[in-house]
Amino acid sequence: MSAAKNGVTENDAHERARKLIALAGTEAVSGADDQSSNAWLAEHMSTCASCRAFAENAAETIRGLRAIPIAAERSLVSTTQARVRRRALELQRQRERLWLVSVSCTAVSLIALLSTFALWRGFEWLGARAQLAPLVWQVVFVVFCVTPALVTGVLLLLRGTHLADHSGSYQS
Amino acid sequence: MNATACYFENSMAQESTEIARGLRRRDPDLLDRLIEQYQHRLLRYLMYLTGRRELAEDLFQETWIRVLERGHQFNDKYTFSTWLFAVARNLTIDYMRRKQPASLDGLLNDGEAAFDVPATGQASAFDLSLRREQNEHIAAGMEHLPAEYREALVLRFQEGMSLDEIANVTRVPLGTVKSRIYRGLNELEPWLKGAPL
Repeated sequence: MSAAKNGVTENDAHERARKLIALAGTEAVSGADDQSSNAWLAEHMSTCASCRAFAENAAETIRGLRAIPIAAERSLVSTTQARVRRRALELQRQRERLWLVSVSCTAVSLIALLSTFALWRGFEWLGARAQLAPLVWQVVFVVFCVTPALVTGVLLLLRGTHLADHSGSYQS
Repeated sequence: MNATACYFENSMAQESTEIARGLRRRDPDLLDRLIEQYQHRLLRYLMYLTGRRELAEDLFQETWIRVLERGHQFNDKYTFSTWLFAVARNLTIDYMRRKQPASLDGLLNDGEAAFDVPATGQASAFDLSLRREQNEHIAAGMEHLPAEYREALVLRFQEGMSLDEIANVTRVPLGTVKSRIYRGLNELEPWLKGAPL
């Protein structure tokens, strides 16, 4: 029972030591953060040959890992830089276009608001001059405002119908 | 904390802030400089992650495009390399998901030739051959490791990242990072002597 318990404890000690070695890397004992772990590891290593061998192998493996040379070729770097610059230019143009569209939308909305207000006052004045009932000049005002959009819509529909009639493949 | 450590910490924080500012402006000169600076590290990470040079090179370019587009998301509380590797990692996972629904487990292990290890250094022919052989064994071992272990080993021992930084890049708890490094190193050990090659 006691022997089994001792075996488990010993295995735990090896496991702990190897974990500390692995995490510390090539710095091995001196790389461990915790001072007490450091001291414990040093003590364990002085008596445990298998953990010492593990530490040596780990250090060698890590050195080997660091020695594997993988380098980016010059052409890859220059191609990437060119691609990044091109994309940066595209993004800048996109941003400029977006800014232009936003400014245009704001200007159009502002002008529409002002002109609607001016037209409303104009129709009101005309209605008063012509002694029309308010409902009449208001209806005329609505028709006046809506007509351009209606005419454009009808024209577009007609154009679509025209294409459908003559090409025969409009739908496809 | 001693003065040197404090100086380095401050200069790193300042560098991160400058990078963040430049990325928000999408400064092409800064990006050119960063590409030069991180070229080998990023490519090496991507090669270990994907196991294929062509794919790694494609993802290398995509990573920098993503850095340009999402540069405003970089938080200067972290180091730039941590963020860069996280971007590269996410792109790789996205690629793998598009290719086949899988996580990092799906990377490599698909029978394709992986790491090409060229000879380096000015050592003697014997040393060179020995070193090359050892590197080949380790590279071969890396190829056979699960992608998570491989990634943890690369970030820890090649990129020199702290355990916290690795946890940030891989988005796993610190304990998982530790066990991946330990297991990865354990599994790599037999390859050092070229056993299962």
